[in-house]
Amino acid sequence: MAHTFPSADWTAAYKDAVNGNAAYREAGKSWTHGAVAFVVEKDAALGLEKDAALILDVHGGECRAARWVERAVAEAEAPFVIVGKYDRWKDVITGKEDPIKSMMQNKLRLVKGHLPTVIRYVESSRQLVKSAANVDSHWLA
Amino acid sequence: MPVVIELAPGAAENGLVTMLADLLRQNLEDKPHKQADFAKLEGRVAIVAEDAAVALTLEFQRGKLVLHDGIVGIPDVTVRAPSDDVMAMSLVELTSKRALPDPRGETMKKVWEGMRSGRIHVYGALLHAPLMLRLTRVMSVN
Repeated sequence: MAHTFPSADWTAAYKDAVNGNAAYREAGKSWTHGAVAFVVEKDAALGLEKDAALILDVHGGECRAARWVERAVAEAEAPFVIVGKYDRWKDVITGKEDPIKSMMQNKLRLVKGHLPTVIRYVESSRQLVKSAANVDSHWLA
Repeated sequence: MPVVIELAPGAAENGLVTMLADLLRQNLEDKPHKQADFAKLEGRVAIVAEDAAVALTLEFQRGKLVLHDGIVGIPDVTVRAPSDDVMAMSLVELTSKRALPDPRGETMKKVWEGMRSGRIHVYGALLHAPLMLRLTRVMSVN
């Protein structure tokens, strides 16, 4: 069954996809730096009335929990927060764009978090995003 | 001496500029011993992430850095590489004794291989070796 991106439903399926990605388990096995949040910016045309986020409680190559929350909650709770518009997230999730390249192009922005740590775990970050390609997704546009 | 890192007007829209500014700021905070190298840096270094079609110029002024969108002025050193290799430059391993790039490190091997194969181009590095060496030390998260 396809899960609408973004939603609580999709977030739950994403957790399973992360845990099913052997490459992420390997690349992220020494990650102990806390949760990562992906914020999807509001887009009234798509029915996204406010910024919202998924928080991934990742630790040691495992996603222990995933929640769909308001942006303010994500920014308060997660040590790492990446923000982007809906179509930018769709491009990286579907593999059309690379997440690191997207950050260089300012399509995705790290608004909270220690960048040297992200760079040390660049493959882990990439695999985390790539896991989303295994979610059966329904797109709003 | 305080570290001064500024963005030139309009440069904040360039993701690579904001990433490198944050990286250098946080790296110098985490590793204050790198500030001595930062204080001696003088010159312009252009970095082009070719596959991302993004370029920037680092203008070092002995203790102050201004980051520009695109190539501004005449760079002393120009690095052209795919975005993955640009990021890898921040992961260069340094030797424990003199903080020189460690040729045995995995990242350094990848950089050398990239230069040999023509994937990574570095112009002006030999003429400005002290600038490149200090920049490598300051950028490395290791």
